[in-house]
Amino acid sequence: MKRTLLLILLPFFVFACLSYIVSIRICDYAMAAQPEKPLHFNHKSHGEYLQRLGAGDCELCHGYYDNGRFMGTPAIGTCKSCHNGTTAAEKAFFKGYNDTDRPWGSYAKQPDLVYFSHIAVLKNTKQARCSSCHGDKKNSMTTKKTDRIMGKMPMGQCMDCHDALRISNKCLVCHD
Amino acid sequence: MMNVRWGMSIDLDKCTGCGACQISCMQENNMPIFDEDSDIPKRVTFLDLMKVTNDFEGGKKYGEVQTAFIPKMCMQCSGNDPKNPHPPCVTVCPVVATDVGDDGIVSQIWSRCIGCRYCQAACPYEARVFNWWKPRYEGDFKQGLNSDVSVASRGTVVKCTFCSHIWKRERDRAIAGGETDINKVTYTPACVSACPTGAIVFGDLNNPNSPVYETRLKNDPRAVRMVHSIDQQPENERARRMRIKDYPNPKVYYLSSQKWLRDIISGFQNS
Repeated sequence: MKRTLLLILLPFFVFACLSYIVSIRICDYAMAAQPEKPLHFNHKSHGEYLQRLGAGDCELCHGYYDNGRFMGTPAIGTCKSCHNGTTAAEKAFFKGYNDTDRPWGSYAKQPDLVYFSHIAVLKNTKQARCSSCHGDKKNSMTTKKTDRIMGKMPMGQCMDCHDALRISNKCLVCHD
Repeated sequence: MMNVRWGMSIDLDKCTGCGACQISCMQENNMPIFDEDSDIPKRVTFLDLMKVTNDFEGGKKYGEVQTAFIPKMCMQCSGNDPKNPHPPCVTVCPVVATDVGDDGIVSQIWSRCIGCRYCQAACPYEARVFNWWKPRYEGDFKQGLNSDVSVASRGTVVKCTFCSHIWKRERDRAIAGGETDINKVTYTPACVSACPTGAIVFGDLNNPNSPVYETRLKNDPRAVRMVHSIDQQPENERARRMRIKDYPNPKVYYLSSQKWLRDIISGFQNS
């Protein structure tokens, strides 16, 4: 009797396990959990150096356009504004790295139905910090996912903040 | 806190029926444009340009027949009490895909819609459209899609949201310019900016300086609201009917000097 029961239940068990694995993979793919990072950028050393120069702000590289749109991941031109390419290592890097041939993936990609505006969240009267969503990125040494504290940004996380700061939680505030 | 209540007035005396509003609306909201307009199930349009005539019963003589074009989009209903809005579509949605914003705009999140089409049945204006097919973009239309609006997939209900993504865009621009008061942000929807004769006017219904100040529009003898016959009733009768039933109370006003057109729009004769 026990063996029959086992034989009946085994396919269901296997199917459940398989579908779990497949769905996890699909979720990872859809939410870009393993994006391509061509090089290991050290946020900590850059931040500390820039802070010594008196410009230790995220906005120096991750800034806004004139119309308020977030620039996102900086292009190679932003690096070139400081690294003028005099040393041999820099020369080799700029020669081998282009913006176009190696796309820089992002963990923090919002789905299509979200109109997320960085400037509206950060330059408000109730100011949030970069770290409130991105975790302690300032002190991260690599671009691995383990450095991130906050994980993906689910809608509940946005709504909790909006609730706490008494900002409207209507759908139209973020969705389109 | 948002004090603005967006509204629209359409001067039908100025409307030539050119259809620029319809085209610009589809382009702005990533809706595929078909050259064959009579294919109703395939047609997905937020803004319907309807042609009406005073001769639909026949028998009018030459010279008496008049025609007009009525641009009809989502009226952004607010229910009897605009302070606590209850549009007919929002009440029936089982998955909160549609909701009323603080500025009175009825939102519709296409990716959240399950396609039950209750809202389409509840809508008094047939302003909601169901996507029967996957959107098929002709030529290189797809390269010019608007990145602020999500592309509606097959099996979802779509509708006009007064181009609220343009409001968000303008808000970002205002914040970049140092303005943090969201009540001062103004914007123009795609149909309004495309209208060559200036027939469609958009603004704040609460602001006395705006071109669509609601109190002024309500006292305007040319103004009429679509299929909202209680506007023509006396004050006490209107109050009595509104106690019994929730009326849509739309935010789009039509202006016309023709009485037959006003009667057709308001549905007054048949009520």
